[in-house]
Amino acid sequence: MADVVILGAGVAGHTAALHLSRLLPRGSAVTVVSPNSQWNWIPSNIWVGVGRMPKEAVVFPLAPVYAKKGIGYRQAKAVAIRPEGDLDDERGAVDVVYTSPDRAGESERIRYDYLVNATGPQLKFGMTPGLGPDAGHTVSVCTADHAVHAATELRATIERLRAGEPQTLVVGMGHGTCTCEGAAFEYVFNVDHELREAGVRDRARLVYLTNEAHLGDFGVDGMTFDDHGFETTSELWTSSLYRERGVEAILGAHVHRVEPGVVHYETLDGEMHELAFDFGMLLPPFGGVALEAFDREGADITSELFAPSGFMKVDADYTAKPYEEWRGSDWPKTYQAVGHPNVFAVGIAFAPPHQISRPRKSPNGTLIAPSPPRTGMPSGVMGKTAALTIVDRIKHGDDRPAHEASMAHMGAACVASAGAGMRRGSAAAMTMMPVVPDYSVHPTGRDLADTRGEIGLSGHWAKLMMHHLFIHKAKGRLGWQLIPE
Amino acid sequence: MTDKTLSSTPDLRSAPLPTARTLRMRRNLPYQAYRFAAFNLRIVRMVLKGHH
Repeated sequence: MADVVILGAGVAGHTAALHLSRLLPRGSAVTVVSPNSQWNWIPSNIWVGVGRMPKEAVVFPLAPVYAKKGIGYRQAKAVAIRPEGDLDDERGAVDVVYTSPDRAGESERIRYDYLVNATGPQLKFGMTPGLGPDAGHTVSVCTADHAVHAATELRATIERLRAGEPQTLVVGMGHGTCTCEGAAFEYVFNVDHELREAGVRDRARLVYLTNEAHLGDFGVDGMTFDDHGFETTSELWTSSLYRERGVEAILGAHVHRVEPGVVHYETLDGEMHELAFDFGMLLPPFGGVALEAFDREGADITSELFAPSGFMKVDADYTAKPYEEWRGSDWPKTYQAVGHPNVFAVGIAFAPPHQISRPRKSPNGTLIAPSPPRTGMPSGVMGKTAALTIVDRIKHGDDRPAHEASMAHMGAACVASAGAGMRRGSAAAMTMMPVVPDYSVHPTGRDLADTRGEIGLSGHWAKLMMHHLFIHKAKGRLGWQLIPE
Repeated sequence: MTDKTLSSTPDLRSAPLPTARTLRMRRNLPYQAYRFAAFNLRIVRMVLKGHH
C-alpha cells in the first residue's frame, strides 16, 4: 500500500501516471495534480497556430481518462513540497491550491510515499517586456489557446497581404536563453507554406530571429549527418531550406523588449538592432514552476531542492566547469531529487547540469545561450523510468536500484513540420542518438547511423502519425503501452 | 565569450539549393512511402537501443 503523487499532466507526468496505474499492485494509489483540466499534444499546436487544425484536435479532458484508469485527479496547482512531512506526519506532503471552478482557491495537503515532479515549464513572457499574447505585442503557440489566437492574427496578416499591403512576419525566440528552437523552426516554415498556399508569399518578408549562434543548432549544438558518404552539418542542411524558401535569418539574438510593431534585440557582436514587424510569434524563455520546499519544522529548504531557475536538482553533476569539460556523464540517470530518493523530477522540471550548445555572451555581457531541450521523447522516457523505479520499490523494497535513462544515452526524434497537407506537405525529420553528444565515444558527438536529417512529404506523414499515436496513447486506449515513448 | 567569426545574418547565397529532381523526389509518393518506412525503422532501432 503506497501513495504516489504526480505533479503535472504533460508528456512526462501523464506517461508516469499511465504506467504506474498499469504496473502497481492493488492497494496502491496514484494521484495526479494538474492545474489544467485538459491534456494537450503540444507538437500539433503548430498546426493550430496556422489554422490547419482546430483546438479540439489537440486537447482532451483528463478527468475521464483518469477515472477509467483508476487514477486520482486533483485539478489544482502545487505550491509547496514538504519532503520530510510536517509535525503531524513524517510522510512527505505536497500543498496544493485548487484551480477547478467548483473548488477554486481551496487548499489541501496531500501525503505521499513517492512524488514525481513533472510540472513542466513556466512560460516566462515577463522576462522580456512586451513579449507574449497577454500583456505584450506578439503571439505564441505554447498552449492551444495561444495557438488559436496566433492563427487568427496570421489570418488577418494574410488578408492584409491579399489587399496588397506588404507585411513583415518575424518568428523565433523572445529571449537569449530560450529553448524549443525546433518549434519556432516549424512555425516559420508552416507560415511560409500558408503564405504560398494563399498566393501572397511574394509580398511578405519572413524573418527567423533566434538565439542560436548557427542555423540548425536547435539547442543541441547542431548535428552531423552522413549524407551520401560525406559528413554534413545540420547548419548546412537547414541553411539550404532557408535559402530555398526565402526565409531570412537573424542569429545569436537576445530580444530586449518588444514595442507595438518593433522588436528591439542585441546580437552576439554587441550591436543593438530594431526590426519592424506586422506579425510576430516569439517564444518565451522557460523557468521551473514556482514551488517552495519546507523541512519538517517548516524551515525553508527551497534552495536545497531547486536551482535558482526553479528547476529541481536531481542526480546530475552541477559542478560549474567550462564548456570544454562538459561530459555526457554530467547528465542525470535516475532523476531522483538530491537527498530525497522517493522524489523524482522528470521532463522540463529537472534542472539540467548545463546547456548542450556552447553558451555565449555579447561584449555587453548579455548571455545568449539556447537552453537544452528536454521535451517530447526524452520527457516520456524519463516519466516511464521514474514510474518503473517506483513500481520496483513498492513491490520489492526501497533498496531496489533505480532504473536509468540518461539523455546522454537516449535518442530523440524531432519531426519539424514545414507545411501541412497529405500530398503537398513537408517536414524536416531529424533523429539524433544520443541527445547529449559524447565526443569521447563518437568523433561527431553522435552515432552517425541514427543521427539523420531528411526533408520531404514522408516527414509530414510521420508527424501526423505521431499526432494520432500519441493521442491514442495518452487516452490510454487499447494497446497504448505498446506505443513507445 | 565573444566569437568574432559569428555573423548575425548568415550569407545564405552559399547554401546548397535542392535540384529540381530533389524537389520532385520530396513529393514522389512511392519514394516518400519508402522513406516513411525507413524513418519508422530507425525510430524502432533507437527505441530498442536507448529506451526501456
